[in-house]
Amino acid sequence: MVAVFAVMNWLLPLMYLGVWGLYLWQFIQEHPSTRRWSSRAAVLVVLIHVAVLSLQSQALGRLPMGTAAEFFAAMAVALVATYLVIEKWLGAKSTGLLPTGLAFLFQLTASLFSSTVPLDNPFLRDPGFAGHTVLILLAYTALSLSFLYAILYLLQARQLGRKQFGLLFRRLPPLDSLERMSVGAVELSVPLMFIGLSLGHLWLYDLAARLAPDQAARLSPYDPKILISWVIFLVYTVGLIGHRLLGWRGRRMNILAVSAYILVMLAMGVVHHFVPSFHNFRTPRATLENSAPMPSLTAIREIFTDNREVDS
Amino acid sequence: MSEATLLSMRGIDHHRAPTEVRERAHLDDASAVALMKALAEDPGFVSVIPVSTCNRTEIFLEVRPEHDPDEILRRALTAIGAETDLFFSEHALRRDGPEAIGHLYRVAAGLESMMLGEPQIAGQLKEAYRLARKHQEPGPGLLRAFQGSFRAGKRVRTETRINQGAVSVAFAAVELARKFFARLSDQTAVLVGAGETGTLAARHFLQHEIGRLIVVNRSGERAERLAATLNTELRAGLLKDAKNRPVAVPELPGGQDRVSVSPWRRLQQAMTEADVILSTTGSLEPVILPEMVAKAVEARRGNPLFLLDIAVPRDIHPDAAKIDGAFTFGLDDLDEMIQNNLEARRRQLPHAEKILAEELAEFQRWLGEVDLRPTVAEFKAYLEELKDKQVGFVRKKKSDELAAEVDRSLQHFIKKVLGRSVSTLKRAETPEERERDLDTLKRIFSDDR
Repeated sequence: MVAVFAVMNWLLPLMYLGVWGLYLWQFIQEHPSTRRWSSRAAVLVVLIHVAVLSLQSQALGRLPMGTAAEFFAAMAVALVATYLVIEKWLGAKSTGLLPTGLAFLFQLTASLFSSTVPLDNPFLRDPGFAGHTVLILLAYTALSLSFLYAILYLLQARQLGRKQFGLLFRRLPPLDSLERMSVGAVELSVPLMFIGLSLGHLWLYDLAARLAPDQAARLSPYDPKILISWVIFLVYTVGLIGHRLLGWRGRRMNILAVSAYILVMLAMGVVHHFVPSFHNFRTPRATLENSAPMPSLTAIREIFTDNREVDS
Repeated sequence: MSEATLLSMRGIDHHRAPTEVRERAHLDDASAVALMKALAEDPGFVSVIPVSTCNRTEIFLEVRPEHDPDEILRRALTAIGAETDLFFSEHALRRDGPEAIGHLYRVAAGLESMMLGEPQIAGQLKEAYRLARKHQEPGPGLLRAFQGSFRAGKRVRTETRINQGAVSVAFAAVELARKFFARLSDQTAVLVGAGETGTLAARHFLQHEIGRLIVVNRSGERAERLAATLNTELRAGLLKDAKNRPVAVPELPGGQDRVSVSPWRRLQQAMTEADVILSTTGSLEPVILPEMVAKAVEARRGNPLFLLDIAVPRDIHPDAAKIDGAFTFGLDDLDEMIQNNLEARRRQLPHAEKILAEELAEFQRWLGEVDLRPTVAEFKAYLEELKDKQVGFVRKKKSDELAAEVDRSLQHFIKKVLGRSVSTLKRAETPEERERDLDTLKRIFSDDR
């Protein structure tokens, strides 16, 4: 099984690259048969990736979203799956180039930074982790789509402003559709993020109640990753209010959406790599074979003890 | 049809003939029917489908072998009082056999149209086909050719982008508006100027279901007149959409008319309500100034404002283009867009030609087997008869199960024998050889029967 995962780790980026290539071909050719092939290929890759993630979940006894690399891989599949829903819903097939391209980059990052050392952090096998992480994953996926549609808006507005009636002008959807899709994605993301973060807090208090006071103290609600997530939530909420009530629309609104997303990615990267956080689940102390099927309070206690020893 | 007929086309089109000649060659429905009747009296005639549009008058003719289509057509055209010589002049186009079918397929796909890939020709061909079928029984050759051309045309339109992108100023204006707004029915347009160009533009936007239209003109009376005319046309269903259906008239709040009028002094007010501004006045000076556009953009709270200036000289001050959120376009931009679209359509030509070649090959295959069909059908009936006798015998002597087995086995055998016979017949090198082979086959089973 480990060999299968190792092969898939490198096959998946290639598959995403293939799908992106098909969407690129479709964008240039816009031939109806290329439309069918690109969508079918995307569906196939999503199914394969979901199957791989399911097998990984079974093998690890947890959702494979414990590390940044695992999270990126999950983002890749969620992004393409969400895009496919939008494609089916709105019929905007000519916009598949960017989501599949970003999904390829996410998967490539995941494959490059994936670790062969299995994690055995009992946090990851707690049911609270699954609910919290899946919601946050979906929220960030929606933000990624909002970012992509905002880029397409700016591209189309630029084509119109410069009166360039070329390929981009012909292929891209109308400005109001792109803005609607970008804002719609944020409207989906904000409540998901709120519920995901709130669930995280509830889970945190639940865990803290079960741990010894000195260990519970380490589960701080002021963890940098939590704080930055709330800031992101607030920024996008303000953006939505501005859009709804203050008429923040058009080019400026889309520039804001693109800038906000870039800042989100930068902030998350900095927090993840340079700021200590209890969200770092990398505790390479057990192997895949001896990982326990269910989390135990004792194991969680052990983690804290180990981490403390490492810190000291 | 046991013998192959001859398919021909004689016609006049926009590639070779000026408008004046095309007008003289035009056949209205009554003339087309008269032509069918005149041709029906000729012993060499099988069937005809005349196609007459503003860009072409083409007569697709099916005649028996050893008859001259030119002579047959000349007699019939003269009989109905048409300008016979036009169809045989230097402006005329003559195509026979596979070339005639190839031409028909190209016409159906829009490849011979003035605007490459335009889809209206498909409807016009179907109309001509329906009219012909109403007054005569088309021969198998023309029937198959027209049906094949409809399929080929449909494939070209759906499998390529040859009919995509506007190639006329009016369509380009709507296409441009659609790059801002997905649903024009939710938008309000302001028409500045109620002259001839303005009327055409207004009609075109209404045909593409713009939600509301406000007419602003220096002469209020003229604006009122235009609004009344357009509202009447809308209510009477005279304005047709792209699919030739009457434009739907949505209910507006308070029972307002879809086309309304605003006085010239309230132009600024009208502009602040607009998503689309179409300017078409005959003014020598710009009537839409940058500060007016700035106010209109401000009222839109960031939403883009689409301004189209189709007046000469221009109505919108050039500085208005510098305002963020205002997108101004003129006639030159529309023309550039059309040229780009035409170029994009031309790039689809190789793919369209490939589809037509596939469809023509299919037609040729059918044509190649057409003289075999009656004999092969008889041969098959003969074999089936033998099989039924044999199966009946087994059923009587043995069992139903065994008879069913024998039936299945003999069906398979017949299929093989027929397949082999047809391919051998098709391999004949000359028509005489094929005729001889068919006679031999016919004699074998006829004598036996």
